[in-house]
Amino acid sequence: MSSTTAAIAAAGSRRRVLGTLLAALGMDATPAQAAMRRPGKAPVDTRLAQLDAASAVAVTFSGPPSPVAWLNRASFGCTQADVTAFNALGASDSARWTAWLDYQFNLVDDDSACNSRIAGANFQSLNLTPNQLWTTFHSDTANYNHRMLPVAEVECATLIRQTYSKHQLFEVMVDFWHDHFSVFGWDYDGGPIFPAFDALFRDTTPGNGVFGNFKSLLMAVCESASMMYMLDLYSSFAAGPNENYARELCELHTLGAINYAGVVDPDPYSGVYPIPMVTAADGSSIRAMYVDDDVYNATTALTGWTISQSTWQVGSDPNPGTFEYVDSLHYDKVTTTFLNRYIGANTGISAGQNIFNWLSIHPGVATFIATKLCRRLVGDNPSASLISTVANVFMQNYQAPNQLQLTTQAVLTSNEFLSSYGLKMKRPGVAFVGALRACGADFTPVPDLDNPTYVSGQWTTTDSLLWALQSAGHRPFYWPAPNGYPDTQTAWSSTGTLGLTLRMLAYLLESTQDRNVAGSPFIADVQAQTLAAIPVAANRTAANVAGLWCDCILGYRPANVYNTAVDFLRQNALATDALDLTTDTWNSASLKLHYTKSRLRSMVALILSSPDFLTR
Amino acid sequence: MSTIQLDRRDFLKGCCAATLAGSGHAAFAATDSTTQDTLVVVFLRGAMDALSLLSPGQNHPARADYEANRDATRVPYSGTGAGLPLGATNWQLHPRAAALKTLYTQGHLALVVGAGQMAPNPVVRSHFEAQANLEIGVGGGTGSGIGWLTRHLMSASLPANVPVPAVSMGSITPSSLLGSTEAITMNSGQDFRLDLGNWPWNSADDYQPAIAGLKGVADVLPSLWQSSTLPLAQAGLSALDALSLFRSINFGTFHASSNTAGYQPSGGANYGTGGFGLQLQNIAQLVKRNVGLRIATVDLGGWDTHNGQGSPANSYDYFGNQVQVLNDGLNAFYTDLSTDAAGNYMKNVSVVTVSEFGRRVQENASGGTDHGYGTVMLALGASVNGNQIYGTFPGLASDQLFEGADVAVTTDYRRVLAEALVARLGNANVGYVFPGYSGYSPLGIFQSSVLADTVFKSGFD
Repeated sequence: MSSTTAAIAAAGSRRRVLGTLLAALGMDATPAQAAMRRPGKAPVDTRLAQLDAASAVAVTFSGPPSPVAWLNRASFGCTQADVTAFNALGASDSARWTAWLDYQFNLVDDDSACNSRIAGANFQSLNLTPNQLWTTFHSDTANYNHRMLPVAEVECATLIRQTYSKHQLFEVMVDFWHDHFSVFGWDYDGGPIFPAFDALFRDTTPGNGVFGNFKSLLMAVCESASMMYMLDLYSSFAAGPNENYARELCELHTLGAINYAGVVDPDPYSGVYPIPMVTAADGSSIRAMYVDDDVYNATTALTGWTISQSTWQVGSDPNPGTFEYVDSLHYDKVTTTFLNRYIGANTGISAGQNIFNWLSIHPGVATFIATKLCRRLVGDNPSASLISTVANVFMQNYQAPNQLQLTTQAVLTSNEFLSSYGLKMKRPGVAFVGALRACGADFTPVPDLDNPTYVSGQWTTTDSLLWALQSAGHRPFYWPAPNGYPDTQTAWSSTGTLGLTLRMLAYLLESTQDRNVAGSPFIADVQAQTLAAIPVAANRTAANVAGLWCDCILGYRPANVYNTAVDFLRQNALATDALDLTTDTWNSASLKLHYTKSRLRSMVALILSSPDFLTR
Repeated sequence: MSTIQLDRRDFLKGCCAATLAGSGHAAFAATDSTTQDTLVVVFLRGAMDALSLLSPGQNHPARADYEANRDATRVPYSGTGAGLPLGATNWQLHPRAAALKTLYTQGHLALVVGAGQMAPNPVVRSHFEAQANLEIGVGGGTGSGIGWLTRHLMSASLPANVPVPAVSMGSITPSSLLGSTEAITMNSGQDFRLDLGNWPWNSADDYQPAIAGLKGVADVLPSLWQSSTLPLAQAGLSALDALSLFRSINFGTFHASSNTAGYQPSGGANYGTGGFGLQLQNIAQLVKRNVGLRIATVDLGGWDTHNGQGSPANSYDYFGNQVQVLNDGLNAFYTDLSTDAAGNYMKNVSVVTVSEFGRRVQENASGGTDHGYGTVMLALGASVNGNQIYGTFPGLASDQLFEGADVAVTTDYRRVLAEALVARLGNANVGYVFPGYSGYSPLGIFQSSVLADTVFKSGFD
């Protein structure tokens, strides 16, 4: 290659490289798109995956005031109203937090605004019994839209409650346990009965639901039609046992893969114990890890646990859609074992019940559940000591009707929780609801599925927003596998999900009550709120407006976000100039006048699209 | 000025300091497709029933055992739903894989029997754990949180500047690319853009001609994330880089009235409207765009057939529906890339399928199958030595089965993937990509690429 050619090529390549380097520094250079692989960029980054409290302490993240940080993790998004209400709860932050938790756990019946909104949506299926759901919806094999209406309604009702309920911690825990006992809502069989499944988590009678007893919840989930269909237990009979539920019961619902020893013969009879024993909650001794034989034996123990009329074998049984144990379909001709426990022959339903009894006292289960709770509320890598503390509360209260309340409380009152920030991010669904809350949205999603006034080719606002959430990878009840949506920053910071979250947040600001009607009001009317919050026109400066929305959305004004928002809103005006925020006309000569209403919405979208909003 | 002459070997080792100033080695520019190969890894999630995809044919020594264990889920060798014989091998493909059979006969498709994970020991039958083990690729466990494809990208001596070395189709990055900052993850090319804000203030490039000084939300976001010290900041910048890189690409399918600038597959290839097909279409589009794509991953789920798997002899054939999706998608992909006017891209593109394990030989009484062990891998490409079955089938007699229940594993899955890396992508660092995996030797599935020849000829060591 001649030296001239090489020099030109070298110069061009240098320019490209410089361009990407400058772009990486955020500087406008010659137009160059930063390559995914480029000099100066490390090819591997595991910092986010390894982030824990200890490493976080080393780097001080400037974050919001503590109550905002706490509320952002214990709710679907802290609003200005939340902060005001919080500050009225006591004389110090710690007293207020205790009072807040008290209120959240006591579930006083005062959620009238949210309940009215739900009532106004005219859902048909939410309060029906499994039997009623079966008859009304599951039996409908002609009209798919009508058949699947229940899950569509639960989807919408869930979003409404996450957005508007005052029982925010309850909603956070309902979301957690749905992920833990993950069921794909749109299953042809399980979907029509889905409201009954959701109701198990929302049950507030003593001992039940997400603040109740773990074993009770575990068994209620097992016996629900939706879970039965998800993991094939409904068709597991003596003549043909199906191991799917038993395997996931051990691996996903209770002991976890960490307590799985694989295809191993534990063989206690030989005197050789390859797997250690541990002490259970009732003081007895139990094998620490499960093996494949345990899965097969649990499968056998749970044969005959089915749903009335779900198969031809039970096709004429009463109360279709409800749990029933059918002894003639149960296999118990031999003694078998689960962990180190005996299941006697001919013990009927108690064989399966014992599986749940033994799992509910197992320390490995306590640790697994505690880990997941800490991961949800504190950080992706909770400390061993926190997990141990929480697991002990779980274990000690294994028979208590409020076991899960106490366990959750242990997490939320821990030092690690109270001093953490930046160890979690908002998954797209949380960012979505958090944005609705922070922007004072008035949005009641309703399904369009079985809509008699449906117009072909028209898409409702609800449809469009659920689609946006689905594109970001986090539509409710849409994860196809039983392991549930992941709960780590590594997963949710993928380019695909983070990028589509940013796309979704901007879309939210542009959404109107009825997207098929011109002039329909925005679901989050940020202009009206701005004008109302700053009634004197002369005070509607970029400095004030950006400050207002940083306060609403973030609870404070981090410098980079605030300054970016100010600059974006003011354009060629000064930060202290009063701005016109009421017109949408072209003005390329003076950008401060160019589409001012749109620019205000975009500024709000910008704040929502900041790392500070997405971190918690 | 003096040129910076680099020894070819040094360049390939990626001496960043020297290449930063630009070496002008046009022959190794990221966009040169003749020196660059692409590997597409298709993960069949849920444990694909390999014995139904590839079943013993009429004269196969294992046919009797197969029929003894498979009744409701059997693939017959004659009559309705008969399998498609693969030459003289005595194997047959599922009847819904007609295009794959054609590709096999044309020499572009190979299958490896008795493939699977030889480590860890003991064997795990958990989907999620087995998938993670396969994708992290250290013989069990999560290692240091880095996937096997990430380690490949780190050790493959890629040029210092590559626009898009890897793409993973899906919302969430799979474990095989865990830790990589060089991959773009997206569920759908068409959706992967910042375009739903209001049009006046969304992005400067929405204006033709541009308005001087106007910066929309999409233009301002990078500096907002750049100035943050939060842990999430780096990931956000990566996402914004990726969005920017793909912004100018119209990933939508061509439509005569609604999308005239959309993508038109070659050769009449029809990807259909399903997610899997469209994701393969996105990959094909990127291959043709010369973005430097070395790695692509895509998932096809729904294989966990514990219940009601169906049979091709009946009208209910759930497993067959899955096979059809795989068949149609791979067929469209191959057609699209091999018949393009610019040339046969499939010479430099290889597709490999993996699944976490196979399924039990004895079907269960729910008309389905449970978790097994040994499975089958597919290798597809114009540089694949197809029309051949590789590996040693361990047999279906009860004393030949693993744990008396499953097809045993005789070929470590890493052997197939390693060969793709060595022979096609020119990366000989097998021990780095798969730590703990020793004794690698090629099965002969892949022809040696120009890049591999160049790398090894220059004395790369």
